[in-house]
Amino acid sequence: MSETYIDRFPAEAKVIRSAFYGSFLALALGGLFGIIQTLHRTGYYRFIPSEDYYTVLTAHGVFLVISFTIFFLVGVFTWAITTSLDREVEDIRFTWAWYGLMAIGITITGIAILAGFTDATDISASVLFTFYAPLQAHPMFYLGLVLFVVGTWLAGADWFRSWLAWKKENPDERIPLPTFMVLTTMIMWYIATLGVAVAILLFLLPWSLGLIDNVNPTLTRTLFWFFGHPVVYFWLMPAYMMWYIMLPKVSGGKLFSDPLARVVFVLFLVLSVPTGIHHQYLDPGIAEGFKFIAMTNTMFLLLPSFLTAFTVVASMEHGARQRGGTGYFGWLKALPWRDPVFAGMALAGLMFAAAGFSGMVNAGMNINYLVHNTFWVVGHFHLTVGTAVALTFMAVTYWFLPQITGKALWNRSVGLAQVVTWFVGMTFMSNAMHRAGLLGIPRRTAEPLYENFEFDAAVGSVGELQAQIALGGLLLSVSLLLFFANVIGTVLNDRSDSLPANEYAGTLSGPEDAPLVLDNLKLWTGIAIVLVIFAYTFPLLSIIGRGGLFGPDIIEFVPISVDTLPVVIGAIELVVTDALASAADTAVATVSVVMR
Amino acid sequence: MNIHAYEKLWLIAALVLIVGFIVTITYGSVGLGIAMIDDSEDAIEPSELSEDERFSDPRVEQVGENEYEAYVVAQTFIFQPDPIEVPENSEVTFYVTSPDVIHSFSVVGTNINTMVIPGEVSTMTAEFDEPEEYGIICNEYCGADHHNMEGELHVLPEDEFDMTELSVEAPDEVELGDEAAFDVSVENGQLDDLETTIELEVGDETLTEDVTVAGDSTEETTLTVDTDDLGEGDHDWTVTVDDHDESGTLSVVEELDEGDDDE
Amino acid sequence: MRLSKGGLLVVLALLTPLLVELRVVAGWLNVELSVAQTVLIGLVLVGMVLAYAFWPESDKGSQTEGNATSADRLSKSD
Repeated sequence: MSETYIDRFPAEAKVIRSAFYGSFLALALGGLFGIIQTLHRTGYYRFIPSEDYYTVLTAHGVFLVISFTIFFLVGVFTWAITTSLDREVEDIRFTWAWYGLMAIGITITGIAILAGFTDATDISASVLFTFYAPLQAHPMFYLGLVLFVVGTWLAGADWFRSWLAWKKENPDERIPLPTFMVLTTMIMWYIATLGVAVAILLFLLPWSLGLIDNVNPTLTRTLFWFFGHPVVYFWLMPAYMMWYIMLPKVSGGKLFSDPLARVVFVLFLVLSVPTGIHHQYLDPGIAEGFKFIAMTNTMFLLLPSFLTAFTVVASMEHGARQRGGTGYFGWLKALPWRDPVFAGMALAGLMFAAAGFSGMVNAGMNINYLVHNTFWVVGHFHLTVGTAVALTFMAVTYWFLPQITGKALWNRSVGLAQVVTWFVGMTFMSNAMHRAGLLGIPRRTAEPLYENFEFDAAVGSVGELQAQIALGGLLLSVSLLLFFANVIGTVLNDRSDSLPANEYAGTLSGPEDAPLVLDNLKLWTGIAIVLVIFAYTFPLLSIIGRGGLFGPDIIEFVPISVDTLPVVIGAIELVVTDALASAADTAVATVSVVMR
Repeated sequence: MNIHAYEKLWLIAALVLIVGFIVTITYGSVGLGIAMIDDSEDAIEPSELSEDERFSDPRVEQVGENEYEAYVVAQTFIFQPDPIEVPENSEVTFYVTSPDVIHSFSVVGTNINTMVIPGEVSTMTAEFDEPEEYGIICNEYCGADHHNMEGELHVLPEDEFDMTELSVEAPDEVELGDEAAFDVSVENGQLDDLETTIELEVGDETLTEDVTVAGDSTEETTLTVDTDDLGEGDHDWTVTVDDHDESGTLSVVEELDEGDDDE
Repeated sequence: MRLSKGGLLVVLALLTPLLVELRVVAGWLNVELSVAQTVLIGLVLVGMVLAYAFWPESDKGSQTEGNATSADRLSKSD
């Protein structure tokens, strides 16, 4: 019997299961809100007042791109570190501690958002995933995010600890590729989260508590995007990791080149952060020169993705030929398309190619004017995080879930149907979103049609675009149901003896071919920091110079007013205690479900 | 490091593509005489917009032959002025700000799209060649009624566009035998002189007066009507200057209760 | 079968972006396609793909090109 992950690392498997279940819960909620939005926006079914749409949208954004993605990441990274170093975590209690902190944090934020649905409390956080000031959320919203992010910092520390302990015992060895990917991703994350941590801790949280009167909207916005762009790579890099170390093996072969994989991750570490201003091309108060620097940095970020495309396809071809495929294109037929793990990742990668190009349109400083804040942007990120990341995560779940539960996948055909349905649904929905955006139809709105003018469709009609979006959204919801059927079916399955061993792809060109300098994490971190300083020092100083650290006085426009500090602190205490209690209940319940 | 030949080729192609993108975008952003949104306007106090010469009175002003400036305020959940009216064949520089939260000012079907941030003034210049009616929307979430925030931009044909404002002060009641005085004020917002005719119709009487209003100034004049010609009773009146008019009713009475005050 | 079942499914799925973009590309060439016409073209393409997939091989009893998964090798691949 081959050794599965749960055989080798039972304690860690428990943490990863908790992380995954939290991730899937977020996916379910986020997906539910998604279909509500789709039907509301397109006018097919509206059962909530349009005002509440923005609460739904905040939940959809935060639950999917913070909770679903990052809980999945910490699960996969824990697997990667332990498997590639062949080493248990240094202290499992520390691992549970950071997981608990993340869970508590996101629960608090989630409560703040969902409380916006009821008038029973004054608590709400309908500020959307970007929470731009002067829109203000309840302090719980910000506090929860802080706890969550600190949890991820501790997770990174846990993995660095493992690596350093391993390095002591293996001083002459190259960093195994999966560990290398984890470490570079986390360094990037540490740099990236500085921006949002400053924005929240120094400005938004004190402001929502009434400790300071005002904030500088341009400053907090810029600090958000300091984080807001690299966070997409925090979502993407685990997906890339899967394409590099899982996809080749599933294809039947090996990774084409380990060194180039390291190069790609180093490029992401170095280039991800100093690009955030490309989300602010249309902002007044930021000079054109700074926007230009962000633009060129962004264009160079195409490079690691291009390299990945080559390596991934080359590895797939290698695998196909190992399976007997021949011919210039005939080898495609030899790939294991029946395997949802393979098919899902392949379709996700294919969709990502389209996504990358729509991203380049966004990055074009001048073209951006035509698409900024339109539905085009929504089409773009549903291809990237919504497919390249989400579909990859769902596809690899079909391999991971058996490994961490010891149970066979419930139904492979349902899995294949799930990934294909996602691809088809997303094609319809995202295509229509892109085209709608080109007409000027806005994003982030409950009702995209206006009274005094009409949008002019180039091909077909606006009504057809709405129908296509609704159709796509419905197919995505069906796909999610299929996914959860498989997850639940697998968890409820019996233990299996015939699961594959826990392993990842070998390489054709191995780490020994990679120049030592690639493993010099300190060097790359240094370069990343220097680039960030170049890209952000002058813009931030300029913004502070123009508007002040705490901004100008603004006419109060807050959905809740926080009058007295003691009252607020008392309220927070109550809510946090409740939240901790219910989070503890949930944790206990989860743990008992998970125990066999 | 062992790099496959195809991979080297691919790498070079990728770099060429990237540099190509950077070059074309740079050309598109600066080479064609287009200006991106930037920090060229000074910062502003959002709570003091009423003291700012431009934003206390959102409007369109002519600043040169075919050159106009539009001072726009975006706030929850309206745009001011609404509609924004400019003539065809004009170059309009927009100045937009907000007193409350972040909005956008986005003219649908064009690349006039900017963030509007409290504390900052966004400025962009656009050329309007043909007459057209555009919708303006806010595409940055700004609160519960965000989806209803819209405005209009009208590019008018030459002959339909003017920046004339007419105001009339007229009495409600006049005693029979007295004169009724209509104070007419014609403001010309354009730079060119405005030659026009003021026409007053009251009852059966019609009076006209030709006036020339110099650019960017106001002409005031008074037209008087002898109430004997009107007779006793209520008389509807209308003052017309080009496409603008004002109306009211004048009552001619035997005796006024209190004095001969004009009101 | 010339394509494995999984492969056939994926090829059909890939028709989706093709058809969805077809209307736009046709628009560039000044050809207007209605939704109904696009669906019709789609059905024709699906039919062609299915015909290709199920058309009998030229020589009898030929192996399909190594498209079996390891589980399939236990049973006859179709």
